[in-house]
Amino acid sequence: MSLMLKNTINGLDKILFDDIPKGSVILVTGAEGTLKSGLVFSMMANHVAANDCHGLYVTLEQNVESHLRNMNSLGIKKEDGLHIFDYRDMRLEWMDSELDLIKTTQEVIDSYKEKYDNLTLFALDSLNALYSISEHDNMRNQIYNFFSNLRDEGFTSFLIMESAQSRISGQFSKFHQTEHYLADGTIELGMIEGKGGVKRYIQILKMREAKHAMEKHQLTIGDNGINILGPIY
Amino acid sequence: MKTSEENVPDLCEYQVDNCKKFVDRIIKTNREVFIMSSLLEKQMCGYDLIKEILSTCDVFLSQGTVYPVLYTLEGEGLLHAEYSKGDMRSKKYSLTPSGREIAEKDVEAFAKALEQVSLLLKR
Repeated sequence: MSLMLKNTINGLDKILFDDIPKGSVILVTGAEGTLKSGLVFSMMANHVAANDCHGLYVTLEQNVESHLRNMNSLGIKKEDGLHIFDYRDMRLEWMDSELDLIKTTQEVIDSYKEKYDNLTLFALDSLNALYSISEHDNMRNQIYNFFSNLRDEGFTSFLIMESAQSRISGQFSKFHQTEHYLADGTIELGMIEGKGGVKRYIQILKMREAKHAMEKHQLTIGDNGINILGPIY
Repeated sequence: MKTSEENVPDLCEYQVDNCKKFVDRIIKTNREVFIMSSLLEKQMCGYDLIKEILSTCDVFLSQGTVYPVLYTLEGEGLLHAEYSKGDMRSKKYSLTPSGREIAEKDVEAFAKALEQVSLLLKR
């Protein structure tokens, strides 16, 4: 029996009533430490394990080993069908050359798709890193084409983006609005400080063609990985 | 090893251009075989592989098409990767015993396939 994406995280079906439509491009935004990578990686790992399909997680922020150590600390295991691609070797070996990372990422996707017929999921961690090391005169067009290509490929994509509220890096995406217009869905992760201390939350701001809750729900990490609890208000 | 241009017999300019396009397409489509074939001779990093195929065949395999092949072959246990001593900038790949066996078989099968295609064209 196939596992829908909305059932890949314990409690996600409390806020996502219909499944994420196939071929959607979903933005996962939030400040640092809000579990963006963990949420996406966990959804992908559980989905590929249950559905005997493949997923590709491209990380520009970390190398494979440090990403896996991070996931392991959250109780999230990598599955055989989930492939991780990092740019460490490429960037070190081609240090003196200018790499077009948007074009290269597209080629990486095509290479994995060629290898694995049933590649159904893709994630990029993160869009901010892609922007910071890509220089294009017409970046908006590049983003538009990148999103269009992802949609045309037919697999469901998760694009991780550190939000403008980033308290540590202070970096803002110049193209922040563009991504939100182009994406089919936006999932926001954040932290709220209250009497009981700091709590993590998840909120679905937009999900085309799918019914969803609007409230912020608490996000926790337990022995079995990530859990979504009730509304946080 | 001769370069691809040295291997091309006397052809007119139009044929040389088309020959280059065909070679380009064949290598790009079958890059896994060419990468494994190159690694039969010596251990190399992604950068070395791209430069070698460029210098011998005049075909540029872009980074986004080579590194995924190296990573998937490594994941399948056909390649072994290690950083060069004193140089963390380049990760050298070599064939594992099972990778060597498959590479030799694939190179032979690929050469046979090209022969068959060549015979088909000469009918």
